[in-house]
Amino acid sequence: MDNLLIHAENVSARFGNVTVFKNISFRLETGSSMAITGPNGSGKSTLLQIVAGLQRTVSGTVTRRVNDAEITVENFSAHAGYTGPLVNPYDMLTAAENLAFTVKDSAAKERVIHLLDYFDLYKERNKIVKHFSSGMKQRLKLIHAFINDPVIIMLDEPGSNLDSTGKDKLFAKIEELKAGRIVIIASNEQDEINLCGERVELGKQNI
Amino acid sequence: MENRIYKHLKKDILVEFRNRSAVNISFAFAGITTIAVSLASGGIRLDANIQSILFWIIIFFSGMSGLAHTFIREEEERTALFLAIHSIPEEVYISKLLFNLVFFIFIALVVSPLYIFFMHAIPVHFTHFCLTVLFGSIAIASVSTILGAIVSKAENRGTLFTVISFPLMLPVLWIAIMNTTASLEPGAAPGFQSILFLLAFSGVIISASYLSFKFIWME
Repeated sequence: MDNLLIHAENVSARFGNVTVFKNISFRLETGSSMAITGPNGSGKSTLLQIVAGLQRTVSGTVTRRVNDAEITVENFSAHAGYTGPLVNPYDMLTAAENLAFTVKDSAAKERVIHLLDYFDLYKERNKIVKHFSSGMKQRLKLIHAFINDPVIIMLDEPGSNLDSTGKDKLFAKIEELKAGRIVIIASNEQDEINLCGERVELGKQNI
Repeated sequence: MENRIYKHLKKDILVEFRNRSAVNISFAFAGITTIAVSLASGGIRLDANIQSILFWIIIFFSGMSGLAHTFIREEEERTALFLAIHSIPEEVYISKLLFNLVFFIFIALVVSPLYIFFMHAIPVHFTHFCLTVLFGSIAIASVSTILGAIVSKAENRGTLFTVISFPLMLPVLWIAIMNTTASLEPGAAPGFQSILFLLAFSGVIISASYLSFKFIWME
C-alpha cells in the first residue's frame, strides 16, 4: 500500500479583487476521503484544482506526496485521476482514441476494456464523442479519471448528468477504490458527500 | 517521451482533419489570393522584389490562422485542462511545434508551385529559394507556436496575437523577402548568411519557448 499525503495549509484563492475563500487547511492520508461542499460560486472546483496542482494559490501551500515523493505536473497523471465539468475530452475523437491518448502504460488495455464495459460504453467506443449524450460524456470523463489506476482520485461533481444506474455504478466504483487511496469529491449532492469520511464546507465563513 | 509526442501529434492531426477548419481556411486563402493577385497583375511580369513581397504575404496570412489555432482551439473547445492533466508541458510544446512546422511547410509547398505557375515567378537560384521557404517557414511556425500558447490564455486573442507577433515576425519576413528577391533575380549572387540567420532565429525562439513553456501553459 502506498504512503499517501495531501496536506493543505491556509490555502486562499482570489479572482481579481474578489476573495473566493481563505485559510482552508486539511490533511489527508492513505485511505481517507473528503467532500468539498458549499453553495454555487463558493470555490469548490477552484479548491479541487488547487489541491490537484492545476491552479496556483494566492497564499498557503499544498503538499502532495506518494511514498515521500512529491507529485508534480510531470508525474500528476501517473498518480492522480481528476475529472470535472471543465475537463473535456476531444469531441472530434472517438472514445477509444481519447482513451488511447490518456492511457499511460501499455498493460492498461484490459483495464480500459473493463472500465468501458463497466460504464456501458464498450459498444460505443468507436463513436465520435461529439455524438455522445451528456451522460455518455460524463461516463467517458470518469473512465479517464480511473484509467491509470490512480492512488489519488479527485472528482468534481462526478454524478452530474448520470442516470440512476450510472450513479449506482459510480458510487460502487468509488467505494471499491477508497481503500488504500485518497478520494476527494467536490459536490453538493448528498449521496456523493456521504461517500466521504471528512468534509470541508466552503461559504461565507471562509471569506 | 517520443511515444507521448507521437500520441499528441496523432491526436492533433485527427482533430484537425476531422474539423478541417484551419486547413480549409488556409488553402482557400492561399488559392484565392494567388489567383486574385495573378489576375490583378494582368499577366505583366512584376519586379522580383514585389513578387517576393506578395509571395510572403500570401504564405504568411495563409498559415497564420491555422498556426495560432492549435493552442486557441484547446481553450475554445475547453480541452486545455484535459490536456494539462494528461500531459507534461514539454511534450505539449514539442508536439504543437511539430504540428505547426508540418502544417506551415505543407502550406508553403502548396503555395510555392501555385505562385510560381500563376505569377511566372521562376526562381533562378532554385536551391536558395527552397532553403529560404523552408527556413522562413520554420521561423514563422516557431514564433507563432509560442505566441499562440500565450494568447490562448487571454481575451481578445486575435488582436493580441497580431500586436505581439509584429515585432517578432518582422525580421523573419524581412530576411525571407530579401532572400526570395535574390533567388528570383538572374544577376544576383545570393549568400547563405541570411539563411543561417533564419535558422539561428528559429533556434533561439524554440529554445526560449521550450524553457518558458511550462510557466505559460500552467498559468
